[in-house]
Amino acid sequence: MKQALEIVQGYQGPTLRIMEVCGTHTHEIFRKGIRKVLPETIELISGPGCPVCVTPVDFIDEAILLATEHGCTICTFGDLVRVPGTRQSLASMRAQGADVRIVYSPMDALAYAKENPEKQVVFLSVGFETTIPACCLTVWQAKQEKVDNYSLLTANKTMPQAYRAMKDACELFLYPGHVHAITGTKICEQMKEEGISGVVAGFTTKELITALAVAVTRFQQGKPFFENCYPRIVKPEGNPAAVHLIHQVMEPCDALWRGIGEMKDSGMRLRSEYAAWDARLKYNLPKVEGKPNPVCRCGQVLQGQCKPTDCPVFGRGCTPEHPIGACMVSDEGACSAFYLYGGAL
Amino acid sequence: MCVGISAKVLKVNQGTALVDASGAKREISSLFLEDLEPGDYVMVHAGTAIAKIDGNDIEETDQLMESLR
Amino acid sequence: MNQTVTLAHGSGGKQTSRLIEKIFKKHFDNPYLTADDAAVLPVVHGKLAMSTDSFIVSPAFFNGGNIGKLAVCGTVNDLACMGAKPLYMTCGFVIEEGFSIQDLETVVCAMADTAREVGIQIVAGDTKVAGKGQVDGIFINTTGVGQIPEGKNLSGANARNGDVILVTGDVGRHGCTILLERDDYGIDADVKSDCAPLWEEVKAVQEADVHVIRDATRGGVGTVLYEIAHQSNLGVRLFYEDVPVQGAVKGVCGLLGLEPLYLACEGTMVMIVSPEDAQSVLHALKQCSHGQNAAIIGEMTDAYPQRVVMKTEIGAETILPEPGNELLPRIC
Repeated sequence: MKQALEIVQGYQGPTLRIMEVCGTHTHEIFRKGIRKVLPETIELISGPGCPVCVTPVDFIDEAILLATEHGCTICTFGDLVRVPGTRQSLASMRAQGADVRIVYSPMDALAYAKENPEKQVVFLSVGFETTIPACCLTVWQAKQEKVDNYSLLTANKTMPQAYRAMKDACELFLYPGHVHAITGTKICEQMKEEGISGVVAGFTTKELITALAVAVTRFQQGKPFFENCYPRIVKPEGNPAAVHLIHQVMEPCDALWRGIGEMKDSGMRLRSEYAAWDARLKYNLPKVEGKPNPVCRCGQVLQGQCKPTDCPVFGRGCTPEHPIGACMVSDEGACSAFYLYGGAL
Repeated sequence: MCVGISAKVLKVNQGTALVDASGAKREISSLFLEDLEPGDYVMVHAGTAIAKIDGNDIEETDQLMESLR
Repeated sequence: MNQTVTLAHGSGGKQTSRLIEKIFKKHFDNPYLTADDAAVLPVVHGKLAMSTDSFIVSPAFFNGGNIGKLAVCGTVNDLACMGAKPLYMTCGFVIEEGFSIQDLETVVCAMADTAREVGIQIVAGDTKVAGKGQVDGIFINTTGVGQIPEGKNLSGANARNGDVILVTGDVGRHGCTILLERDDYGIDADVKSDCAPLWEEVKAVQEADVHVIRDATRGGVGTVLYEIAHQSNLGVRLFYEDVPVQGAVKGVCGLLGLEPLYLACEGTMVMIVSPEDAQSVLHALKQCSHGQNAAIIGEMTDAYPQRVVMKTEIGAETILPEPGNELLPRIC
């Protein structure tokens, strides 16, 4: 690792902005203090790859509506529980008696539905390409096994449009390893053709530093490049079985990214064959327009346009205990990471 | 996003596999990976095996550094 | 006798006496425990430490112990953290109607065994029975007193720059055990609660220059380190790689995106010791019943007041985030 670190620290070119798209990368970079060993000329920007952070306020409001108006049992990843909706979070609804269960896997939500046929179970389907196959799998199985008390409230998102939307905020991308374990690296090659460079990176300190060393070296050679620095997990073709199931169950749709806005074809929704497992259709949910707190600058943070510390409420009103914006909620959010790992050091 | 952990496959059933992540065992879906066998290592995310792991991180990073010479 | 606890057992009448006689008195028996309204105890010279704690663990029975053992360990350890020899304790039970008498006896037995191991006497008790659904099985409150040796003064504020930080055992096992017992996440691992009384460990280092002892219960070692940092206005330099964590605990935490340092311990303490005595304290702990996994995990520093800082493998110093929220698995 010493050699890799020396390459990174020895970088002397023009300012190099690298966007780590993935929230788990953000988390590890802060936890291991990677920013602190970089030269001033290399800037790491936290991108929009924290599913919790980009999930719009409306989604939380919809989930709350399902729990309160329709008496549904909400199954969710722990990550989402404290995210503020327009007025409430799922955590505060749970304290008032709503049935909110934290699960490790969407499969556990389906199993819970099967064990409790008298309950209406809704899984909050968030996450990117890595998580989408597991979400799709539950609906596919529910259809096969005719489980009719289970449905998905979808807010899944996909990466390619986000890469393109973010391309001017940085010189190169640190692509999320586990997303590309599913999708493969074709999109990264395409980006290279479009003049956008990047490397796929793993998640340990050694993997991250090595990927940065490769990125810095190739960047200095001047031409657009792509390098897969996580080949033991990420294959060029990705995981074809998972991709196949995604397309069988879901289709692309326009999606609203919290703080960023709507991006064409950047989300996934259930196909019409699976309408009976689509919570929005099943419960005929009205169009909800959530209202994020207007002072919150999460949107610009997510686009790399400002640092968390530039936001007027950062640390003053917006803290991990009392988050105003989603970036302060998730351990992977840039604001939370700045808050928890920042300070006097 | 996408917290992943590598785990060793202990047992393969129809569409599922029992895996062991340094002593934590859990039944996961193996539908996305064909031909899994006990002893294989997989990357696990949210209860699914998303990829088979070929080789180890040390060799991988060493090879990458070699390629920069 | 009925097979389950009924409201009649809490009425104060004949049934209550019978329950006391057949369960509590049978196991707790000692000269101070009488049928009178209060225990009569000799006056102790010097200073007393006194502590109270309520226990509502769900499930009440877990790998490595039960709520009864936990209730004695909790109070014994709180006293021991002040250097106090645990002397007497009281216990109050709130039992849900329908709770099995056999389970109650198991809980009471565990309390008696643990108290005997430490040499603390259970001198007074109270039993209330609550209607079905009003409590979750069984809640226990324990209050204890202990005698502080002359000149002993332990407090988080006493930590000094350069002091060495030890843990008496590996971290996070109790929290991990409870998480597995609740079976919310379908994970199976061979993890046993560290639930244990630690008076023996404290006694073993009574002569050494120990400045702080803290029980790493709720919030785990991470929370305790922050408490000490705040109290002493010093910083903690944590040797993260040296923190003992059982493999399976690491595995569970890896799957769920949790940090072992924030998981509760019920038989692990943090000790802050002068650098001169650190090795002898470590050695003494390792000879004790519950101290085999003791380790040095850091040092106090005036460089980062009120913070816990760790050096990572690339030589950067980063902060261990201060725990503040409910622990939630991080997946997506």
